[in-house]
Amino acid sequence: MFKNVLSRLVTETVRSRRYAPNGPVIQRLIPASGPVRTFTDRKGEAQPQFDASLLDVLVCPLSKKPLRYDAETNELINEELGIAYPILDGIPNMIPQEARLIQKDSAETPTH
Amino acid sequence: MAASMRLLVRRAIRLSHKNITLTAAGAAARSDCCRGPLVCRCFSDEAEDRSTHFGFETVPETEKAKRVYKVFENVAQKYDIMNDAMSLGIHRMWKDTLLHVMHPQPGAQLLDMAGGTGDISFRFLDYIRSQEERQKRRVARSSQTPSWRDISNNYSTQDEPRESRAVVCDINKEMLKVGKQKADSLGVSAGLSWVVGDAEELPFDDDQFDIYTIAFGIRNVTHIDQALQEALRVLKPGGRFMCLEFSKVNNPILSRIYDAYSFQMIPVIGEVIAGDWKSYQYLVESIRKFPNQEEFKGMIEDAGFYCVKYYNLTGGVVALHSGFKL
Repeated sequence: MFKNVLSRLVTETVRSRRYAPNGPVIQRLIPASGPVRTFTDRKGEAQPQFDASLLDVLVCPLSKKPLRYDAETNELINEELGIAYPILDGIPNMIPQEARLIQKDSAETPTH
Repeated sequence: MAASMRLLVRRAIRLSHKNITLTAAGAAARSDCCRGPLVCRCFSDEAEDRSTHFGFETVPETEKAKRVYKVFENVAQKYDIMNDAMSLGIHRMWKDTLLHVMHPQPGAQLLDMAGGTGDISFRFLDYIRSQEERQKRRVARSSQTPSWRDISNNYSTQDEPRESRAVVCDINKEMLKVGKQKADSLGVSAGLSWVVGDAEELPFDDDQFDIYTIAFGIRNVTHIDQALQEALRVLKPGGRFMCLEFSKVNNPILSRIYDAYSFQMIPVIGEVIAGDWKSYQYLVESIRKFPNQEEFKGMIEDAGFYCVKYYNLTGGVVALHSGFKL
C-alpha cells in the first residue's frame, strides 16, 4: 500500500521535473503530499502507543527520580540530569548508555 | 573453585575499600584462573579491567555484556522453538512449577526480569485469571441464597482489588520485540508492560513489586550480586525473589548423560534450527560456569534476602531459588 503511494509520488515528481518550470512542480507536489500525509498518519497508528500506566513504576535508572513523558518526541525525560530515554515500538529503552543528552546534541551519554 | 575465589574476592572488596587489599586479593584470585598473557596484566590492573567468564572464555567485564547482547540478538527469533527442541519441552514444566510455587494472588505486581519472550508473564496472567474465576465461582456458589447482608455487600464497590500487573524487563530489545509480537498474536495486553532495562540498574523505584522473577537469565548478568541488590531494592517488604536457573546435577550418571547431551547435541540442534552454533556453545558453557545451588543460595543471602531455599527440578538440571525481603 505504501509502495503505491511512493511510486505515485516518484512518478509525479519525475513527470513534473520533465515539464521544468517550478510552478507546476509545486502545484503537483502539493496533491502528492496529500497521500504522503496519510502515509505518515497510518504509520503513526501502526506504531503502538506508550502505556502511560508504566509511568507509575518507571524512574530514571541513574537518579531514581520520576520521569516526564514527552509525546512529541516520544521520549521519557529526566529534567534534573537533562537526559531523554527513547521509546521504540511502545517499549521504553531505559539503558543509561542509550539515553540522549538534551542540552547538547550528542547522541549518547558517556558511560559511567 | 574459580567461582568461589571470585566470591571471596568480592567479599573482601566489599569489606575493605583499600586499594592495596583490592589489588592483592584481585591478583591472587586472577593468578589462579588466568593463564598465559593475562597473568602479566594482573599486577597492574585497575578495577575496570577485571575479567570475567564468557562461557569457558575469559573476557574483560565490559565486553561480556556486549557479547551476551549479541548472542541473544541472534537467537531471539528462534528462541522459543529452540527452547522446546533443546529441553524436549521440559522447560514448560519448569516454568509451570515456578508459577505453582509462586502461587500469585489477584492484585500481585510482578517484575519479570530477563523476561525476553514473556513466558513467565503470560503464565502469571493466566494463573491470576484462573484464580479470579475460581474466586468468583466460590462467591457465586456461596451466595446462592443470599442473606440481606450479602445483598448489601454486593452493592458496595469500594473493595476493588488492585489490578495485577506484569512488567517484562530485558536488556535486549530483540527479545522484547519477539515477546510483544507473541502477546499481540495471543491477544494478551491487559496488565502487561514491556521495558528495556539493565538488571544491574533497574529503572524502577524502591518497594514497587510483590514478586521478582528471573528465569534463565541471571547467569548472563555480569555482576550477579548487583542484580540481587537491585532485586532487593525494588521488592516490597514481604516481596518474593524467585530465580530459575540451570544448576549442578548431583547424580553422577545423570550428570554424564547431561554433559554429553549438552556439549554434543545442543550446539548441533542450534546449528540446524537456528543456524548458530556459537551462541548455543556459549549457552552450555555458561551453565557450567554458574555457581551451584548452595553457592548461589549464599549469594542471595548475602544480598539481604531471608528464608532462602532452593528446589531441585529434573534431578538438579534446574534449580528454583526463592528468598523473601523482610
